[in-house]
Amino acid sequence: MAAARARGPHGEGPALEDIRGWRVLLHPVRELQLVRLAAFVRPYRAQAAASLVAMVVVTLTALAVPYLVKIAIDSGIAVGDMRVVELVIVAFLALAGLNLGASYLQTYLVNWVGERVILDLRRALFAHIQKLSLDFFSQQKTGWIVSRLTNDIDSLDQLVTDGVTTLVTSSLTLVGAVVLLFVLDWRLALATMIILPPVIVATVVFRSKSARSYAKVRDKIAGVSAHLQESIAGVRVVQAFRREQADFDRFAEANAAYQRANWETVVQSGFYFPYVEFMSAVGVVIVLWYGGVLQSHGALEIGVLVAFVGYLASFFDPIQQLSQLYNTFQASMAAVRKVYTVLDTEPDMTDAPHAHPLPEARGEVRFEHVDFAYGRGRDATPLVVPGERSGGAARGGEQRGGDGRAAEGPAGAARAVEQQATQQRDALPREAERAASDVLHDVDFAIAPGETLALVGPTGAGKSTIVKLLARFYDPRAGRVLIDGHDLRDVTTRSLREQLAVVPQEAFLFSGSVLENVRFPRPDASLEEVRRVARIVGAHDFIEALPDGYETDVQERGGGLSTGQRQLISFARALLADPRILILDEATSSVDAESERRIEHAMDVLFSGRTSVIVAHRLSTVRHADQILVVDDGRIIERGTHDDLMALRGRYWELYREWEETGLPL
Amino acid sequence: MRTFWRITAFLADYKLLVAVAFGTALGQMALSLTIPLFTRAVINDALVAGHYELLVPLGLAILGVGAARLVLAVVRRLATGRMSLGIEYTLRNRMYWHLLQQPAGYFDHWQTGQLMSRAMSDIQNVRMFLGYGLVFFTVNVFTLVAVAVLLFILNWSLALLSLAFLPLLLIVALRFSRKLHPVLRDVQQKIADVTTVAEENVTGSRIVKIFAREDDELEKFSARSRAVFDASISAARLRAFYVPLIGFLPNIAVAVLLFWGAREVIAGTLSLGSLVAFYTYLMMLIYPAQVLGWLTGLMQRAIASGERVYEILDTPLEMTDAPDAEALTEVCGEVRFEGVRFAYGGDGSGADDGMGAAAAASNAPRAAPAIAGQKAPPERQVLRGIDLDVPCGATMALVGHTGCGKTTLTNLIPRFYDVTGGAVLIDGHDVRAVTRESLRGHIGIVNQDPYLFSTTVAENIRLGRPEASDDEVREAARRAQADEFISALPDGYDTVIGERGYTLSGGQRQRIAIARALVMNPRILILDDATSSVDTATEFRIRQALIEVMRGRTTFIIAHRPSTIALAGEVIVLDEGRIVERGSHEELMAVGGLYARMFGAAEAEGRTLDVAGLPTDEDGRGDGGEPLPSPRGAGREVRDGGR
Repeated sequence: MAAARARGPHGEGPALEDIRGWRVLLHPVRELQLVRLAAFVRPYRAQAAASLVAMVVVTLTALAVPYLVKIAIDSGIAVGDMRVVELVIVAFLALAGLNLGASYLQTYLVNWVGERVILDLRRALFAHIQKLSLDFFSQQKTGWIVSRLTNDIDSLDQLVTDGVTTLVTSSLTLVGAVVLLFVLDWRLALATMIILPPVIVATVVFRSKSARSYAKVRDKIAGVSAHLQESIAGVRVVQAFRREQADFDRFAEANAAYQRANWETVVQSGFYFPYVEFMSAVGVVIVLWYGGVLQSHGALEIGVLVAFVGYLASFFDPIQQLSQLYNTFQASMAAVRKVYTVLDTEPDMTDAPHAHPLPEARGEVRFEHVDFAYGRGRDATPLVVPGERSGGAARGGEQRGGDGRAAEGPAGAARAVEQQATQQRDALPREAERAASDVLHDVDFAIAPGETLALVGPTGAGKSTIVKLLARFYDPRAGRVLIDGHDLRDVTTRSLREQLAVVPQEAFLFSGSVLENVRFPRPDASLEEVRRVARIVGAHDFIEALPDGYETDVQERGGGLSTGQRQLISFARALLADPRILILDEATSSVDAESERRIEHAMDVLFSGRTSVIVAHRLSTVRHADQILVVDDGRIIERGTHDDLMALRGRYWELYREWEETGLPL
Repeated sequence: MRTFWRITAFLADYKLLVAVAFGTALGQMALSLTIPLFTRAVINDALVAGHYELLVPLGLAILGVGAARLVLAVVRRLATGRMSLGIEYTLRNRMYWHLLQQPAGYFDHWQTGQLMSRAMSDIQNVRMFLGYGLVFFTVNVFTLVAVAVLLFILNWSLALLSLAFLPLLLIVALRFSRKLHPVLRDVQQKIADVTTVAEENVTGSRIVKIFAREDDELEKFSARSRAVFDASISAARLRAFYVPLIGFLPNIAVAVLLFWGAREVIAGTLSLGSLVAFYTYLMMLIYPAQVLGWLTGLMQRAIASGERVYEILDTPLEMTDAPDAEALTEVCGEVRFEGVRFAYGGDGSGADDGMGAAAAASNAPRAAPAIAGQKAPPERQVLRGIDLDVPCGATMALVGHTGCGKTTLTNLIPRFYDVTGGAVLIDGHDVRAVTRESLRGHIGIVNQDPYLFSTTVAENIRLGRPEASDDEVREAARRAQADEFISALPDGYDTVIGERGYTLSGGQRQRIAIARALVMNPRILILDDATSSVDTATEFRIRQALIEVMRGRTTFIIAHRPSTIALAGEVIVLDEGRIVERGSHEELMAVGGLYARMFGAAEAEGRTLDVAGLPTDEDGRGDGGEPLPSPRGAGREVRDGGR
């Protein structure tokens, strides 16, 4: 069959062997996501339209080649007219030149639009993720979220560039070839169409089977990768408990399952593609036989026959290419669906429409009868992605801070589904049910401007939750949180957070220098200011001692920063922000004693002139607070100064005694 | 090139399949080459000469060739598929087994993501090349040569004219591949940059929110994404220029062929059928010439990937069992350290194993570069001569500031690392002289941050002894103070925990880890900071569990809390890799050394003792005075490379 193969510039190739399909033709619109994706193309519709025109030109010029050859043979060579041949050659070169130019435009424009869409989509996704509440971040693994922003969007790359081009040019070539076959000789064309039904049947069967197999391949490879990740993270345990062989067997099984799924696809394409090729040889034979018969009666010119054989190739190649495109399309759609699960997660902590900026705060904080429950604050739906398998390292559940959720656990997706189901099934009075799951009950207190409040209580009591409400990471279910009399729900989040800083338990440093990290809240701060705050928190000396001082990269050469040092940088950062309200959320619990002493020393400076809230395990840090709240099971059970509470001989006194005891050698 | 041969060496296991694949591919090619000959015969002999009776046999011949090609193609695809999937499977298994055997230090050095990408995409690249690339490459080269020869046989002058474009095409195609390669690598690099920003914004989302820096971060992310866009467009430009050009060049040859061929046919020196056959063959040349560039790219990628795979496979297994290693059977649990020295970054395998320098370098813990930045010598002595004898059944607490070598010392017992000097003996057996399997069977470990697998609670508990009965599991959990909360879980012991399951608190995980150690019933128990991250109430419960667990076993306790240290009969104080004090709590308090200063300071200030990072003796002002941060003290905090 291998006669004149008029290939487009994309050719066929083993590279594309694995990545094309054809159902695309039949169901593009049915995939809702594709329609939504189209919205991202709209801003570039001019370029997209131009690229479409270029594609049409490319296809038409490529299709014209066998026809020109036919003219050359029949009207030129056969009748001995060299002028026609020369004209054909000129036309041929002109068309080839046109094809060259149009191909350049097509490739460039399609890629430009595609990459642009990817850029916009990535940006939109990132901006959306930024708006999501902390719930989202605690329910989803880092790796899961990151791969939405990277892997999934990158896998669209293939679709928006190669995929679209193949789809358009292959379909056009297919249609064009059929039209030309009929134009050349309708009898011969009809005869050739005999082979179409077996090809269509085979394609339909192949398409549906291979779609299933590729889905299986994706699923199995995710299994292999998940196993790998988990075992690498837990390799110490595997070794310590001598589970190498058993673990290896499990891995080999997952790996084998992946190979089996892959083998299915090998077998499918192993039969399908040679079959289509064979059918095209059958087509050639039909053309030669029937064409020969026609020609013997003088009813057909030889040139037509040659051109016919040429167009047969243009007819079969697109069918193969479209069949393969279907797999790319499916993989991309799986990725798009995952991207949209994130884009469809409603940010539940948006600013109210009437929100106004919080004016320069004096720093008076008031909690008025606050009740709070996680995950249901505003009937927020926990993000659930069924069938998701490729998550990040499966650590045996991470401890999430020291707040109430640690004990109960912001359970995984499966559990969230369960909860939802229960919620819907049970016709319990909603209010009662809610109250039962509340993390905070009727929390009511006030802090005068400039005062220091300490929150004390066992793990899971709700201390960190109170802090999160104050920073408006969540809204209360009932009651109000006020700063200077402004309900936090009525002010813009941005203006609130510009006046408030939290130093969390784990100091998080961004890649970049120490300087950049301290400067994070105020990128325009001068080096002098940075040095000043670093001196105040006692970080200056060790920073200076780093290989490149303030310019030391925290991940590379400064990778050895200790927890304490990181925390000091985090303190400096908070101080540079110069907030009206400062919150230390167990900020010193992961710091060693030496650093803690230094920080305590700095606290006087940190706290002076600001409203401060401290959450602490170690009671030594809370003794000097103006007010201490003892929180247990989401309620404030005692309040007062250290001396008041000691005199009360209540829970605080007990905690203090217990702590004193465990703090001393027996 | 060496890697190229090493990669192809994988094919050695599939000699038959390789032979079949190449044989069928070449056969396929040869058959394809005959079709234009038949077409020529049809036109020349049947149609032009009017021998229409030839149509049937010629048609049948084409069908026959087509059918033969069908069979060969199916066989070829199945053979290459079987072979390449087999190679991928074996290679991945080999790599995984290799990783499982690596000592702990290995994983300090490698990031999980790095290992993952090698085990997944790099192996796939190798497979793609071996399965498709190599066969296609060979076949294409053969096609080029065979077609060129055929053209010369058909008509040498016409062949010379029309093949003039071929060298040009090859040059352009290779140039394209060479230019595209670095650009594509750049795209990958830029994507990695995006990933970094994405990752830290997800992990640090709270910080970004707190300081309301969303806009800055979005800008940063956008800039990096924009860089991906720019790099991708550079790649697109290259493609837009070269791919159509590569498609265009053969057209010149077609034009030349038409011009000269037509003249010759008209002049009667060439048959029409020959011209058509010539044209068809010329077309058959274009495709192999076009994809050669792509195939070289595939090959380059496979070689690069192969190098990355071999980087892992070539790391010798540092701690294989000695050839004459015996199983460590019944032990009582006496542990003796004899002049033990240990250094990270040095020859971690011990002098007599004859380790290559490459292995030593790649086994340096990740903390090492940071230390190097502080101008420490590349070989970092962590333990400088430890002599210690812990009798069978005794409990020993290890105390000292972070980085003094406590964890490292305990890591030497189950041979997570090997000593660089001296010896560790269990009941008089050098740990290096027994099989690791039997050695580790006697040692239970509970870490500060216990790792649980995402499977059921019961599975996690019976990890060390899969044959343990349900009753044994329950009994162990009960003694570890874990039965109560486990029973309250949705599915009790069958509750799946971890990422896709139920999330446990730190204290709960700690107790499951203790139960896990209990089920194993080890003779030696190592409790590394097992209680530091929990609050006092939880610690109390865990302490109760520990007392239960320690009974009758040789136990090492690393702890910061005095209450936990108090569980031990004897305490050793480590400093700078040496034992500086040893004795009971009272004795050490009376001595007034480092221990007393650490605990005395805590007492005086009336707060929890946290030994980590306390001023060391040379600072000499641990009690009362305000210790100023010393860069040396700060640097030491990271030296505990054992975890």
